Amino acid sequence: MSWLMTVDHKRIGLLYLSTGFVFFLVGGLEAMLIRMQLAQPNGTVLNPDLYDQIFTMHGTTMIFLAVMPLGVGFANYMIPLLIGARDVAFPKLNALSYWVFVLGGILMYSSFPLGGAPSDGWFSYAPLTERAFSPGSGIDFWILGILLLGLSTTIGSINFIVTIIQLRAPGMTFDRMPIFVWAFLVTSLIAVFALPSLTVAVLLLLLDRQLGTHFYNVGAGGNALLWQNLFWFFGHPEVYILILPAMGIVSEVVPVFSRKPLFGYRVVAYSSVAIGLLGFMVWAHHMFTTGLPAASLAVFSADSFAIGVPTGVKIFSWLATMWRGKLRLSTPLLFAIGFIALFVIGGITGIMLAVIPIDWQVEDSYFVVGHLHYVLFGGSVFGLTAGLYYWFPKMTGRILSEALGKLHFGLMFIGMNLVFMPFIVLGLLGMPRRIYTYSPDQGWSSLNLLASVGAFLIAISFLVLLWNFIRTMRRPAQGLADPWDAFTLEWKTSSPPAPYNFKEIPTVGGRRPLWDEKHPEQADWRAGQ
Amino acid sequence: MRTAVEARRRDEGLAKTGLLAVLASEAVFFGTLLTAYLFLRLSQPNWPLQKVGLSQLVVPGLNTGILLLSALVISRANRAIARGDRQGLQARLLLVVLLGAVFIAGQLFEFLRLGLRPGDQAFGGVFFTLMGFHALHVVAGMVIVILAYLRARLGDFSAHRHIAVQVSAWFWYFVTAVWVVMFLGLYVV
Repeated sequence: MSWLMTVDHKRIGLLYLSTGFVFFLVGGLEAMLIRMQLAQPNGTVLNPDLYDQIFTMHGTTMIFLAVMPLGVGFANYMIPLLIGARDVAFPKLNALSYWVFVLGGILMYSSFPLGGAPSDGWFSYAPLTERAFSPGSGIDFWILGILLLGLSTTIGSINFIVTIIQLRAPGMTFDRMPIFVWAFLVTSLIAVFALPSLTVAVLLLLLDRQLGTHFYNVGAGGNALLWQNLFWFFGHPEVYILILPAMGIVSEVVPVFSRKPLFGYRVVAYSSVAIGLLGFMVWAHHMFTTGLPAASLAVFSADSFAIGVPTGVKIFSWLATMWRGKLRLSTPLLFAIGFIALFVIGGITGIMLAVIPIDWQVEDSYFVVGHLHYVLFGGSVFGLTAGLYYWFPKMTGRILSEALGKLHFGLMFIGMNLVFMPFIVLGLLGMPRRIYTYSPDQGWSSLNLLASVGAFLIAISFLVLLWNFIRTMRRPAQGLADPWDAFTLEWKTSSPPAPYNFKEIPTVGGRRPLWDEKHPEQADWRAGQ
Repeated sequence: MRTAVEARRRDEGLAKTGLLAVLASEAVFFGTLLTAYLFLRLSQPNWPLQKVGLSQLVVPGLNTGILLLSALVISRANRAIARGDRQGLQARLLLVVLLGAVFIAGQLFEFLRLGLRPGDQAFGGVFFTLMGFHALHVVAGMVIVILAYLRARLGDFSAHRHIAVQVSAWFWYFVTAVWVVMFLGLYVV
């Protein structure tokens, strides 16, 4: 009961994390169904209609109900601790934002029993989603779900912006803020500025479907490309909403497990800001095949190349941090290294897609699906998993088994590449995305089978994580305040922290306040002397 | 220990930063709606109401004037309480609500006068949507001002403690500014 009424940021963080993880498992099951259907040509696991519903819900679930809330969960738990505050700025709004998210998730999923789930893909292109072409109620559930989830994210983001700007401990200047906090500040700003575009897009669609307006109806003066512009003006910044928190986690984990301060703190912090700004200028690279004028093509292609620069800066900063560091290859660092390796593949395929002739060739093929999963699974999910292993002792007072953690990492890393590398090749071989089956003479059979085997390895890796979790939680708490000999303020309090977080609000004198306190002889402020 | 003044300053800082973030998000919302309107309008050679005569501007012009007046009144309400004038605050807040109601009635009249329906081509829909969402925001602003008025009657505000009046005024200015942009976009440009 006390969990239902809670306004404590740590409890709300755990609620977000557990709910997000449940949705992650549901989205994962949907992915398994897709891979079972496509494992062999002429598959019969799902009929075409159900297949469309499953892949639509897989994308929608993973983006809005799993990866976003998991990032918010870590932010909720950690940001007040990282900046030395007692809670977020508006604790009741924080609870509201969680419960609106739950409601949105329930609404989304109630479409399955109530007349069929949405089936037009996660970006629900108009006019396919108009009533004439999608007469069922699935799209209406999708619209209402998106509206609620957008509301929840907007409330949450405003809360984090105010918290980070107003509630930092004395001495915690912007220049000393942990990179995860920087990353989440930018994430929240992106959300506040990008989500209204999605809200407008789906509201206009709802009006078209329910009140008979003609926003997307070309026959009556509307414009189908209006949807694509509105959706991707949100949709591309959304990619950074999904990846920046993971990048923030990696920026916390890599230095602690390399026993070195982050290389180029300022450029890593500012590169998040640059990514946030550039992220708003590249949306039409999702629309290269819609007949844009040549000038637009050139501008959006160039912008998309440019966004590789701040991203590359981060990669090199992490590598330079590890260079000559005293590496401890614990599970959190393994997942962070996995993030770096896989995200580079996601990034490079992204740059390839920014090249217009390549995009024209592979648009709407499995190449794109492979690319986005290297970014969102290899990137976001690996980063979030690094955060889980890193912060688990703080949240529970228990440390997850290292042996099982390494097994989880190994299976997930191999499985991930077995699924998504074949996707990239399949795309080059011409396999279109979203088809429910293919025939044996198309030459896609063995790569699809390989991908399905990889999917099972990923599923097994998460069973290992669940087993690790259950095993660890059945043991008594060890109360390790600071098991990693870490740098930042969250490790200064007990594990788990008391409701008020800190007995006294700490005063901050550097970027690694806890390290300076524990190792005054090696304190950062001495380095300049 | 934190003093009461420090705690109040902190809460005021939270309220102001929070409202600014809300308004930023709202501004993008209306900006996107207006962009959608321009996008549709520019992709259509024959846009109705493209050349409205000056006579057509009487009702919307009057309405715009009323809303601008209400923004002036709410700024006076804020100044009154800063002087400690509680009576003046209450009277002006009531006047703001009244002007808001007149504006909503005027918008309804205008919508009926134009005789547009949401389903009349894309234009009807975009007009209906823009005016509708703005009207919803004016109504929300009226609810906020009524709540501030009720608190004022209970004696909640003083010369040094009236952050709620201040942020209500900010919201009202925002709603007024949005309408001015819309008026220019829908009727004048």
